[in-house]
Amino acid sequence: DFRASALVLCMDVGFSMSNSAPGDESHFDLAKKIIQKFVQRQVFAETKEELALVLFGTDSTKNPLHRDDQYQNIIVHRHLMVADFELLEEIENQIHPESQQADWLDALVVCMDLLQTETKGKKYDRLNIALLTNFSTASSSDNLDIIIGNLKKAGITLQFFLPFPLDEDEQGGEDGDSRGPGHQGAGKGLSSEQQNALSMMKHIMLSLDEEEGLDEVYSFRNALQELHMFKRIETRPMAWPCLLTIGSSLSIRIVGYKAVTEEKRKKTWMTIDAQSHQSEDVKKETVYCLDDDNETEVQKDNIIQGFRYGSDIVPFSKVDQEQMKYKHDGKCFAVLGFSKRNLVQRHLFMGNQVLKIFAAKDDEHAGIALSALIRALDELKMVAVVRYAYNRSSNPQVGAAFPFIKKNYECLMYVQLPFTEDLRQFTFPSLENNKKVTPSETQLSAVDSLIDSMMLVEEDENGETDDLFRVHHIPNPDFQRLFQCLHHRAVNPSAPLPPIEPWLKAALERPEVISERCRAPLEQIKKNFPLTEVEKKKPLKTSAQIYGKDVDPARDFCTLVRQKSLPFGEVCQQLTQRIEQLLSNKNTQYYMKSITCIQAFREQSVKLENAELYNSYIQSLKSSVPSRGLEVFWDLLRQGMIRLLTSFLVAEEKEEEAMAASPAGDVGDVDDLVCFHITVICSIRIF
Amino acid sequence: MAEWNAFYHNEDEDEEQEEGEQTSGDYKVTGRDSLVFLVDASKEMFIKGEDGELSNFDMTMQVVRSVYTTKIISSYRDLIALVFYGTEQSKNPRNSFKHVYVYHDLDEPGATRVRDLDALLGDKGEKLAAETMGSGETSLGDALWCCANLYSDIKYRLSHKRLMIFTCRDDPHGGNSTKDRQAHTKARDLKETGVMIDLMHLMKPGGFDVSLYFRDIVSPAEDESELGLQLKPCDKLDDLRKRVLAKEQKKRSLARIKLILDEGINMAVGLYATAVTARKPGAVKLYRETNEQVRSKTRTFQTQTGSLLLPSEIKKAQVYGKKKIVMERDEVDAIKKFDDPGLYLIGFKPMEKLKLHHHIRPAIFLYPEDDQVKGSACLFSALLKKCSEKNVFAVCRCTPRRNIPPRFVALVPQKEEVDDGKVQTKPPGFNVIFLPYADDIRNLDIPHCPIASPIQVNKMKEIVSKLRFKYRSDAFENPVIQQHYRNLEALALDMVAPEETDDLIMPKVEQMDIRLGPLIDEFKNMVYPFNYNPDVKPAAKRKTDDGGGSEKKPKVEVSEEELKNHMKNGTIGKLTVPLLKDACKQFGIRVAGSKKQELIDALVAHLGS
Repeated sequence: DFRASALVLCMDVGFSMSNSAPGDESHFDLAKKIIQKFVQRQVFAETKEELALVLFGTDSTKNPLHRDDQYQNIIVHRHLMVADFELLEEIENQIHPESQQADWLDALVVCMDLLQTETKGKKYDRLNIALLTNFSTASSSDNLDIIIGNLKKAGITLQFFLPFPLDEDEQGGEDGDSRGPGHQGAGKGLSSEQQNALSMMKHIMLSLDEEEGLDEVYSFRNALQELHMFKRIETRPMAWPCLLTIGSSLSIRIVGYKAVTEEKRKKTWMTIDAQSHQSEDVKKETVYCLDDDNETEVQKDNIIQGFRYGSDIVPFSKVDQEQMKYKHDGKCFAVLGFSKRNLVQRHLFMGNQVLKIFAAKDDEHAGIALSALIRALDELKMVAVVRYAYNRSSNPQVGAAFPFIKKNYECLMYVQLPFTEDLRQFTFPSLENNKKVTPSETQLSAVDSLIDSMMLVEEDENGETDDLFRVHHIPNPDFQRLFQCLHHRAVNPSAPLPPIEPWLKAALERPEVISERCRAPLEQIKKNFPLTEVEKKKPLKTSAQIYGKDVDPARDFCTLVRQKSLPFGEVCQQLTQRIEQLLSNKNTQYYMKSITCIQAFREQSVKLENAELYNSYIQSLKSSVPSRGLEVFWDLLRQGMIRLLTSFLVAEEKEEEAMAASPAGDVGDVDDLVCFHITVICSIRIF
Repeated sequence: MAEWNAFYHNEDEDEEQEEGEQTSGDYKVTGRDSLVFLVDASKEMFIKGEDGELSNFDMTMQVVRSVYTTKIISSYRDLIALVFYGTEQSKNPRNSFKHVYVYHDLDEPGATRVRDLDALLGDKGEKLAAETMGSGETSLGDALWCCANLYSDIKYRLSHKRLMIFTCRDDPHGGNSTKDRQAHTKARDLKETGVMIDLMHLMKPGGFDVSLYFRDIVSPAEDESELGLQLKPCDKLDDLRKRVLAKEQKKRSLARIKLILDEGINMAVGLYATAVTARKPGAVKLYRETNEQVRSKTRTFQTQTGSLLLPSEIKKAQVYGKKKIVMERDEVDAIKKFDDPGLYLIGFKPMEKLKLHHHIRPAIFLYPEDDQVKGSACLFSALLKKCSEKNVFAVCRCTPRRNIPPRFVALVPQKEEVDDGKVQTKPPGFNVIFLPYADDIRNLDIPHCPIASPIQVNKMKEIVSKLRFKYRSDAFENPVIQQHYRNLEALALDMVAPEETDDLIMPKVEQMDIRLGPLIDEFKNMVYPFNYNPDVKPAAKRKTDDGGGSEKKPKVEVSEEELKNHMKNGTIGKLTVPLLKDACKQFGIRVAGSKKQELIDALVAHLGS
């Protein structure tokens, strides 16, 4: 079986780690954060990588190498396994600063031993140990060369995470500006033990990798910055081999890859029972019924499929449909012709992806042929218009293949284009020919300077451009936020969700420099362009249209439900819109109208045995009562409803219970009413 | 849904719609659109042009038919009516109007109606029209009145009412001022009830003078530019079709939101979907016995107790690292909330910074809504003008609706364009291009790319030039959808077999071959070895591995002359890498790399082509 890699996190929790300068986070806290963030990323990326956790400087000792006074105060906290929430919880709750000290080289040996024994017999691509310490403990260099030899032999790589940056020796004095605040200069503040340990570490790292060994030494702060993002979930690019054809006799072997595509959340939410938290306890059931007064249920076997052809419904069985449907020869990338590039408009790109098309691997001739096409198109400023079909069962598309030439490679870039049916030719009033909206010279120049002040791309004196806002470098905030919340909830099940992380918020905002620069031009815009919100009186008119000329929404609602010309859901939606409009007037007369509507709503829902819409509306209405200041209305509603219920024969007793159950004056408790309605509905069904 | 989904699934990649996040074209419709075709059936309409050009009547019927079939596909719930005026016969609900013939009253278009229209096409259509309706007196006032009555009999709520008059007579009543006045009154009445009246004036000898009579009949143009009336009369089918389609589609915004330059500087803008992937519509479920449509009801209940579950009794969960993480339903929504809906301006970038391949979904269109925030159109117009002058686009953070995570977009300026007939071909506004996040860009291992020589490229240029055509975005119909509707049509109309569909996205191979002539072979000779067949996977590679290096390698030497010939003909790329290497050795050339192009370059340099 395939295992990616194994990693031991080895953290110093000893006494010196909890020291800190006043106002600074302790080394322990920073190291713990790094470990948390790292494990968190592993969990959400669902990697197969195996993790172990070794702590040193602990009060107790628990490791296989421990004999007498050797390898003391080192604990193997967790053996190699895939990261999970258990580990995250343990880190959160069980790892504290302790009061002992241990030799970091001893800890390293424990880690090496762990890797060697626990990976025996299995194949790993990479074995790695990450050591987080402040090097405050003296350690002996006696066995250093043996350790290095063993590391090399076992193919184990090392990473160090230290509270101070490493690059002191090289850059001597320039501490100040290369590092942010809160960093101690390594050279000066370090104890002799630390100096000593540093040179041992360098010796190890350079022995393992002469050139880049020291690149694997990180400061706590840098590491945290790198780790604040959740890891993107890597998708292995799938090759799509095909033939590019021009006419009947010229074929070029190609291979396509998705290069850009809208990445969606990989997991969906499952629905669970609020009590048991089990998804098996919730079942969604769909039943079919005739559109008659009794809503006669129809069994699944008696249902066939049909399609609309305008006002006609045509029965069309799946078998017939399959037989008569459009069929094609499958996978294809066939040139229909070539066209000027500027005739293919950017804003008419369709689909959700861009493919990069290369010549087939290891086929030099295909490579040359495709290169000739790419370069010909590029020089002529043209594109190939192609028929593209992914495979036999997918629908063919029309699309454009653009030439794309970079310094180190070239390819065609395929993007889907619209079909006639996809286009909507909208006409909009001209802006230039309309004197009322034509901006004046002053206004235009205000906009001109605004644009100048807000340019995100700048050219420096070397003619090199610097882009201050690269969208394609920003991680999708949707995923970041989701993982943040999931993690938070997993570790703190009863706490409310945390706010969006500051770094993420900042990444989505206008860069500080630009905000500074555009302040004055924005003032000018404000001065020169009066913008006034227009009072909305429209909704009333439209609702009057919905429900005819004399406004009696409750009656109209009942009529509409009876007519069945519109689906029940739609009618309900219209009604609730109307109720919301009525409620926007804080006035008893309107309140009473709303209540009549709600009563009608409830009545019809009971009649149709469809309480879902009603209940969910009442729920949401209830939850909005405090924020909208509708307490008075709510009281009126409750009184009105109870009166109505009293006149309801089926469950007279129960509704007395309901009345009794709701303490007078309390705003809440429509839950009782809702539950009750359902029992009413159920009982109707049973009879 | 699941069943029919499986039946027309596209590719794995483009189906899944993220909980309504996708910008689908249809925003919550609050009523139906209606369209009345009011067509002049006087003798003048039937006059054929010289050289057998279509009569105005025939042209009109073709366009009307195409609107019917388009509506069936795009919005079957819209209502259409077809009314003729200036007929001899009369046919209308209470037969209270003379010389007005209601061919179709306001209703959803269906198969029968399309058939009816087919009957009115061409010569036989002319004959049928003459037999059933004939040509007689004209009273536009009666015709408009009759149309007004059509609306009042409708039980649906109508959201958009449009009436199109097709005529080639600019003075319909021949100077009868009573009739003129009556028609004006009726037109005004209609307009007051919200009906838009358009004129589709057709060519007649001497030209069509709109100002003579129709100026006061039609609704004023939205922008008061009188663009509509400057239009020339239509004399071509395509023009008429374009003009009708442009008017016929009601603009519906996906959303109306604020474009926010800074706190307190908010414009109102509408987002419009101008290109939306059309799909085969879903199947409807029918009761086997009667073919009537059934309704579905969905209930959520507790498996153990069998009782219905309220929303409050349901939670949501995901599993990570073996742990089930539980959230309330409203928390699941809250996680997706970053901003209130709006377009937040970040800054501007030069146009060349907009990468062609940074495409993740179809663009939408942005246009100001002055009736929401007065002054929006002016600021918008200034921004549009300056962006387009300075050749920059705006970068915005876009939250189209509540509880939708933001996406960044590029607002690309688009200036208004009109064609010769003064019909708008591009509206003024910004195209909103969605930009990818880091997660949307995939890391690919870039394969080795050999580079073609200029001679090979030139040969390909000849091929490309031979197959040039003028791409038009509306030129390709979707064969899948077309076939589907042909099938339905055949079933609905009891036809023996569905009409043939032209697959417009099939390469016209024979024509291409003829146009290309010998070019293909010439190109192939330049790039492919003689026995190279791209249709089969190369199997040769395997063998050399198996042989363990001991097998005989036939030494094929290339003479200097052959090499020079290859260079001259641009066919040197056809030689294999080992051959080229040998050639280099032969001439004592030291080559830095072992890539084909490097070898070729070295040889070319040495032999001096």
